[in-house]
Formats: sequence, C-alpha cells, structure tokens
Amino acid sequence: MDGIPGKGLVKGLAVTAKTMAHRAHTRQYPDVEPDLPPRSRGVIALFEENCTVCMLCARECPDWCIYIDSHKEEVVVPGAARARQRNVLDRFAIDFSLCMYCGICIEACPFDALYWSPEFEYAEYDIRDLLHEKDRLREWMWTVPPPPAHDPMGEPAKEESTAARRAAR
Amino acid sequence: MTREVVVGTGTGLDTADMVLNIGPQHPSTHGVLRLKLVLDGERVISCEPIIGYMHRGAEKLFEVRDYRQIIVLANRHDWLSAFANELGVALAVERLMGIEVPERAVWLRTALAELNRVLNHLMFLGSYPLEIGAITPVFYAFRERETLQTIMEEVSGGRMHYMFNRVGGLKEEVPAGWTRRARAAIGEVRRRLPDLDNLIRRNEIFLARTVGVGVLTAEQAAAYGASGPVARASGLDFDLRRDEPYLAYGSLSVPVVTRQEGDCHARFECLLDQVFVSLDLAETCLERVDQISGPVNVRLPKVVKAPEGHTYAWTENPLGINGYYLVSRGEKTPWRMKLRTASYANVQALSTLLPGCLVPDLIAILGSMFFVVGDIDK
Repeated sequence: MDGIPGKGLVKGLAVTAKTMAHRAHTRQYPDVEPDLPPRSRGVIALFEENCTVCMLCARECPDWCIYIDSHKEEVVVPGAARARQRNVLDRFAIDFSLCMYCGICIEACPFDALYWSPEFEYAEYDIRDLLHEKDRLREWMWTVPPPPAHDPMGEPAKEESTAARRAAR
Repeated sequence: MTREVVVGTGTGLDTADMVLNIGPQHPSTHGVLRLKLVLDGERVISCEPIIGYMHRGAEKLFEVRDYRQIIVLANRHDWLSAFANELGVALAVERLMGIEVPERAVWLRTALAELNRVLNHLMFLGSYPLEIGAITPVFYAFRERETLQTIMEEVSGGRMHYMFNRVGGLKEEVPAGWTRRARAAIGEVRRRLPDLDNLIRRNEIFLARTVGVGVLTAEQAAAYGASGPVARASGLDFDLRRDEPYLAYGSLSVPVVTRQEGDCHARFECLLDQVFVSLDLAETCLERVDQISGPVNVRLPKVVKAPEGHTYAWTENPLGINGYYLVSRGEKTPWRMKLRTASYANVQALSTLLPGCLVPDLIAILGSMFFVVGDIDK
C-alpha cells in the first residue's frame, strides 16, 4: 500500500494511546445507576384506581399477555331509582416474559390507568415469576416519573391541553 | 520369515470433497444462518445458504394484526433498523388511506431514520473487524452507539425497538430541548468517529484480509437483487433516497457513497463513509425541525382501516431496499403484507461469491455482506 509499511498499524496504536490518556467511558453499572429518560420503557405500572375493566389493553396487546378478571357489583346510590352496576377488578396481571414492550396497552387505555416506568431491575430466576400481579404492578406506580415537557415548536402534551381547557371552564 | 503388509490401495491418494456445515450456530453468522459448503481441501467448491432457522412467520402474523400492532412486529425482523422498518409500514398504510403527514413529522422521521442508519452501520463497523480478529474497533463503535442510543431512548423510550412511528406521523412530540441534545450527540459522534476510521480502515492486517477478497461485480449484484451498501460497493449506484425520494429526502441532497472494487474492503468503506453522510443529513433535518412548528401526527379514526386496494412502499433501509407490498380488502387488518427484505436478497449473492475462495476468507466475506438473520428469515 501507500507510504511507509506499518503506517496503518501505527495510526491505530496512536488512537489506542490517545484513548488510554482519557477517562474511561465505562459506567460501572451495579455501583453506578444509569440515567434513564422518563420515556424509557422499563416496566408497566398499573394505577388500579383508574382501571374500569374495559379490557381495551388486553384486547389491543399484540401477544395477549395481559390477564384481567373482574366481577360486577351493585352499588346503591342514595336518591337513585335503581342500583347501579359497577365493574370490580379482581385480577390484573402482565406477563413480562411475553411482553414485547411496545406500549400499545398504555396508548390504548382511555382512563390513564397504565404508565411506563424506567425501572428495569426485576429479573427473576424462574420465568413464572415474571408474571406481575396487580399489587406488584401497583407498586411500580411509585416509580413513574413525570412526563417530559414537549418541544415548544410542537403541540403541547395531551395532559397540558386538557388541564388548560378545564381551567378555562 | 517375511510378512506382507498392504499399506495403501490404488495409486496416489484418493481425495473426496468434504461437505461442511457452517452454522446454524456460528458466531460469524449473526444468528442462525447455515451454509452448506463443499470443500476441496481449503477451497470452497460450492456454497448453499440454508435459511429459515429463524423464521417467525412475520408475514402471516401481519394478517391477523391491526396496523398499530403490525408496527410492533415489523420493527423486529431487522432488529438493527427498527425505525426504518416501522417507517415502511407507516408509509404504505398512509398511502393507501391517503393521509398527508404533517411537515414536522416528516422531517423528524427523516432525522430519526438517518440516526437509525448510523446506529446500524456502527454495529457492523464494530462487529466486522471483530469477526476477522480485530477486537478493538467494537469498543469504539459501541461508545458511539451508546451516545446515539441515549438520544433515541429519550425520544422514543426504546433503545432498539423504538415503536415511535404511527400511521399518520409519530407517536408523540419530542421532549423540550431534545433537538439540541441530539445535535450535540451528533457532533460528539462526528468528532470521535475518526478514531474508528484511523483504527481500522488502513490497518495492514485488515487490508490483507479484505482487499481483493470476495469480489462481487455490479452485474452479479444487480442479478441477485442486492442493494444497499453491499451493492453500492460494487459500483451499483442506486439509492432510493436519491432515486425515488420518500419522506423529506426530495428536498435534501443525498450524497451516495459508492466504490468500484466490490471487495470486502470496499463494502466496509461504503459503510464507514455512509456514517459521515448520515450524520450530516440527520443534522440538517434537525435544523429544519427547529424551524417548523405544528403537530407530529394526525387524528385518526378509532379503528384504522386501509381502504380496498394495494400498494408497494419501498424504503432505503440501512442494509438495502426494504419493501412492503400491502394488499387490503378494507378491513382493519391487511389481507396480505409481503415483505421484501434487504438481507434476503444480499445473502443470495453468497452462492456466487464463495465458490473458489478459501475457508479463512469465507468469514471475511460472510461478515462483509452485512446481513441480519432475522431480516433473511422474517
């Protein structure tokens, strides 16, 4: 090739020497936590109080990894002519061994009962333990970060515009 | 007393061709590609790629998924170009439904598609030298990948399977200050990329392994339907971003990186130079995004149904041409969605490329075809 033989190797070694003089790029993970953005798709949290058992999430899930059981309850509202029927959530479970982390359930939920959390340290020794029942999913709710502000050039977030509309009323 | 011992029969040595299987599990195949080789000593006489070990029935699954669910599946066949894969599906459905995507979304998509291209190329720029014995470049490549993945994660929440495209635009607006941080990351990658370049491009050992090895002619590339960097390294000057612009590529000038040699080193160089081009393109797009205000998606009906008809949307994916042939009968799922993937066509060329080469060169050639097995088997 062109030039002095071994020039390419020397150039490579120069890069190595240069890198050696710099700080290492590595983050010592278990000791140093990674900085994850709020949108990071780590685990799905369930805000059980908001769930109305509409089953939209379970139906929209591409691999049907959401299990929901419920029963109907009669609620007697004082003053009302008849007793109302209400859905009560018995079981809500997400099988994270099947989940593809696409976020369609969260998008499909019309009542804001599902959220992404960046938490990711829930590996298990047994695959069956990846099935998170509703109390465990509720616990993840405490780790859900506030959503990031939208770019001022774009449209404001859905939460912002609804809040503004409510305030104007 | 004498004893007669027969030590050999016939005259000379009988040689037989050996049939050797490379794979289905071999580290240089990026997955489960199996090559059935017939060897004469060290020389390859014939090569038959046997595919299908990773077939997941993606096309059949598309037929029973609605269009949002298809995007989940589609971004997985070539796991290194998830954004570009999603894009093809979205473009096909948008065309059939006659949706016009807001300008801001178009430029954001273009920027993200180029960042995805850089991420994909960096993976191969790291793994290819690794396959032929140079362990160092992969660390540099992954350092840059990390920088860009952080940017992609901030905007979409995913590091590989972005799930950020939707029919009619993007999932949501980017976070405030994201374009600035993305430009900073691009600047950082561009500044550090010469490290990778200096480390390997003119390295004598690397040159000895790759120059003149596995020459694919332009005619062969065209005959096998090869596309992307693999074909452009053979002088097949074809890039959909310039020749049939989609997204915002029509108003950008896209420099197409080509080489004439068609050998392993030319393919590697195409990839490396393409990274610089893509970084520039992404930066231009981000500047435009900062000037355009407006929504990033359109309001869709509750149930998205593509009207009856068919369309073919092809895009220049990082590894080559990726096409979706969508046939709809007006339901919320497609009647048929055919996938044309880049790796599938590119890997076919192996059966002409490998015969005549030596076994040690085989790894160099295999690695330089830049394929993802998921993209071959679908």
